[in-house]
Amino acid sequence: MALAPQDRATAGGTLTEYDCGIVGTSVSRSDGLEKVTGRAVYVGDLELPRMLQGKILRSLHPHARVLRVDASRAAALPGVHAVLTRDDLADQPNVYYGPVVRDQPVVAIDKVLYVGDPVAAVAADREDIALEALDLIEVEYAELPVVEDQDAALAPGAALLHERSSQPRVVFADMKSLHLQQESNLCSISHLRKGNVEEGFRLADLVVEDTYTMPMVQHAHIEPHGALAHWDRPDHLTIWSCTQNPSVNRAQLAELFGLPEGRVRLIVPLVGGGYGAKTYPKLEPITAWLARKAGRPVRIVLSREEVFQTIARHPSKVWIKTGVSHDGRLLARQVEARYDTGAYADIGPRTTKNGGYVAPGPYRIDHVSVDSLCIYTNKTPAGAFRGFGVPQVAWNYECQMDDIAERLGMDPLELRLKNLMVEGDRFHTGEELFSVGMKECLEAVARDIGWQRHDAAYYAARRQRPRTGKLRGKGLAVMIKSTMTPSLSSASLRLDADGSATVMTSTVEIGQGCRTVLAQIAAEVLGVPVERVTVSLPDTDFTPYDQSTSSSRSVFSMGHCVLEAGKEIREQVLALAAEALEASPEDLQIRDAVVSVRGSPERSVTITDVFRRRHGSAMGSLFGSSSFQSNGGLDPDTGQGKATAFWHIAAGAAEVEVDCETGRVAVLQLVAALDTGKTINPLGCNMQNEGSVLTALGASLMEEMIFDRGQPLNGSFLEYNLPSLKDMPGRLGTILIEQPHPDGPFGAKGVGESSSVIIAPAIGNAVYDACGVRIKTLPITPERILRGLRGLG
Amino acid sequence: MGTIGFTVNGRATSAEIRPNETLLELLRDGLQLKGAKEGCSVGVCGSCTVLVDGRPVSSCLMLATNAEGKEVVTIEGLADGERLHPVQQAFLDATAFQCGFCTAGLIMGTVGLLHENADPSEEEVKDYLSGNICRCGTYLEVLQAVKAAAATLRGPGGA
Repeated sequence: MALAPQDRATAGGTLTEYDCGIVGTSVSRSDGLEKVTGRAVYVGDLELPRMLQGKILRSLHPHARVLRVDASRAAALPGVHAVLTRDDLADQPNVYYGPVVRDQPVVAIDKVLYVGDPVAAVAADREDIALEALDLIEVEYAELPVVEDQDAALAPGAALLHERSSQPRVVFADMKSLHLQQESNLCSISHLRKGNVEEGFRLADLVVEDTYTMPMVQHAHIEPHGALAHWDRPDHLTIWSCTQNPSVNRAQLAELFGLPEGRVRLIVPLVGGGYGAKTYPKLEPITAWLARKAGRPVRIVLSREEVFQTIARHPSKVWIKTGVSHDGRLLARQVEARYDTGAYADIGPRTTKNGGYVAPGPYRIDHVSVDSLCIYTNKTPAGAFRGFGVPQVAWNYECQMDDIAERLGMDPLELRLKNLMVEGDRFHTGEELFSVGMKECLEAVARDIGWQRHDAAYYAARRQRPRTGKLRGKGLAVMIKSTMTPSLSSASLRLDADGSATVMTSTVEIGQGCRTVLAQIAAEVLGVPVERVTVSLPDTDFTPYDQSTSSSRSVFSMGHCVLEAGKEIREQVLALAAEALEASPEDLQIRDAVVSVRGSPERSVTITDVFRRRHGSAMGSLFGSSSFQSNGGLDPDTGQGKATAFWHIAAGAAEVEVDCETGRVAVLQLVAALDTGKTINPLGCNMQNEGSVLTALGASLMEEMIFDRGQPLNGSFLEYNLPSLKDMPGRLGTILIEQPHPDGPFGAKGVGESSSVIIAPAIGNAVYDACGVRIKTLPITPERILRGLRGLG
Repeated sequence: MGTIGFTVNGRATSAEIRPNETLLELLRDGLQLKGAKEGCSVGVCGSCTVLVDGRPVSSCLMLATNAEGKEVVTIEGLADGERLHPVQQAFLDATAFQCGFCTAGLIMGTVGLLHENADPSEEEVKDYLSGNICRCGTYLEVLQAVKAAAATLRGPGGA
């Protein structure tokens, strides 16, 4: 259960209770050896007897009616075992899926909505045969007008993408916090209202108004999406997939096939990165359908070009208006955020909502008003991406903070600190803030980068500086972000007679190191060496429900469950040991699988002895299990309520050098501080932080998916540039702040994406500081800088 | 179909191949060496890197038929039994991986680099390995691992 702030002192668990020294140290990762030897198994490495290769025929049109699909020639090709088309789905009750709105068909039914929309699929003996068969499928289209972007989608007379009203099957409780629309290109809208913004603007001495945009970008996880489906009986599906949501995916597959959930077994091997792209059903429905039709196991692994056509990050257009007093108090802020969710909703309604209520930033403002819109267009579907809707708004409010500071002649750091929310303040949603080390993070990065106070003289000198040669500048940014709330996790834990333990969890090992961190938590509470703890990979036949490996929620939620399950076992061990040692359980400690009396280490029994005492010999297991559900919810009209179980907090600082002749930006220093709550594995936290920074660096300076009337122009790694070793900043710094959270295990919160939010504005502000060019559209390309320097806008 | 003869991880091997089959397909599907991964199929991401006659090659771009008579080393061929190659050991010690999908390619690239240049500068490392993308952003640890591996391979006498 989530606890109210007043219960803080009693919750969580403190380290002094256990004192094994495992939590808080950089324990080596448990998956290292298989990863450096090439033995690590990913879904694309798996093979089953009689397995077929699946390939997908995709639409070349951004928007068209499907008039005819004829697969007869493809089906007749030797080596082809099944072709899946809409004809196979005609008599099926459930052919649409999606985590919020069931708007995405397994294959196109009556329309295609973007370039890459699946139209048919082939299962064949070999991949080259399947590809040949795709060419033999005849599809006749009638092209429809293309809805290119958010504004076009909402313009009067715009072509409607989704003509049928899809059934929003509200599984996730937080969807009650927004308004889903029907038969409109507006998929959903959410609101935040506090005070009266008009009144706030009237009181303001300065009102600033800007529009910032971000393009669509790719997750670019190096492992493409893959799935292997096997119907071992007509009513039992086993599917291996690189999904981030085994439990939710199982439920959706069960719904599609009309099966009890227990008849769908979803197994997730190691996953080669995802960053949000592997959340919710992606490849699973089409692979399962194809395998069912073929009557044989089918594996589909996407090509890189197909990954580009599967999921991406929401492009955004965000208008922000801020009223401020002459002494730098933020009085009112109004935001309209338009997120482009592409052809299908995916998790866009939540992304949009989550970006919306933090769009005013982590600042005390009496009057706020936000409308956040999730809009369909004829582009690649957009979904969860590291940062989850918040980079789009922080890019905007943090750049504007620097402009406001300059207009007032104030230091940007001082302006931020003056307005920054602190412990005990009420957030825009009305909830009380706790465990929010924003000030600490911001001050840490400012100190680290050598922030120089901007006073009148600084601004005057900056304005007069000639815009030639290479110019240096520094920039700051800070942010606050929620986690998926409410949400549910469960874990079970087993301690065996030899002092080994096994954690059963549906948390996905996607590279973040969850198996190592969960092992640390279990080892600490059970008092066994961390090498003795094994953490499962997800297998829904055995591992209990978990809502998602995303939203940086695994350490907080699953870690909480492991800690609580461990306590249950620990109590049993201590009770048995207390009898043996003739001591009170409270006086006992467990370290290295030995229970001893505190202060008298000679009075001890091993965990194995405890099992002997219980079972007569050294055998058997002790069990513990726990579920954790966070609570919350917002009013859909005002956004008031409780947004989150914990807040992600981060601040960043950048130093850049802008070459005024070429427009090139060299990042000299990039520093990110995040609030871990409690650092369970310092190296792991630092690596997650570095990863967030480098992903965001790419999106800030080089990455953009370009479309021309719905046609993608750079959908492969040949045309889409990613940060390599050569794009590393001159110095990459990472700082961990600890502001413990009462519900987190040992106070820990999530760390996986916080810093991805603050990099673009920190760099944007540094660029402005260097050369006076305010970039409002990402990425910050040399061309945009040169246009700015030449006053071309 | 045709047959090629080549050496894979020290063993003389012959394999049936299709004319358009890539070396990566042959290694993964034909020879069941799954350590090299396909990330982009256009030779940009580096996760399919193997050594061909000692030099790192994007096996997704090389036709299997061009491996005739050559010596191919994959990640599976680096360790000596259970004893890791110094580059593998360095990547393990530095935790120079997260999701691990690009790791085999990065290790093979590093082996190739250190074969050509026993004591590379940081700039040389960045330049040489710029064709190995790690989207988890593990570059700091990779630099550390390459440096450590270089020192080990040079041995106590190497400066």
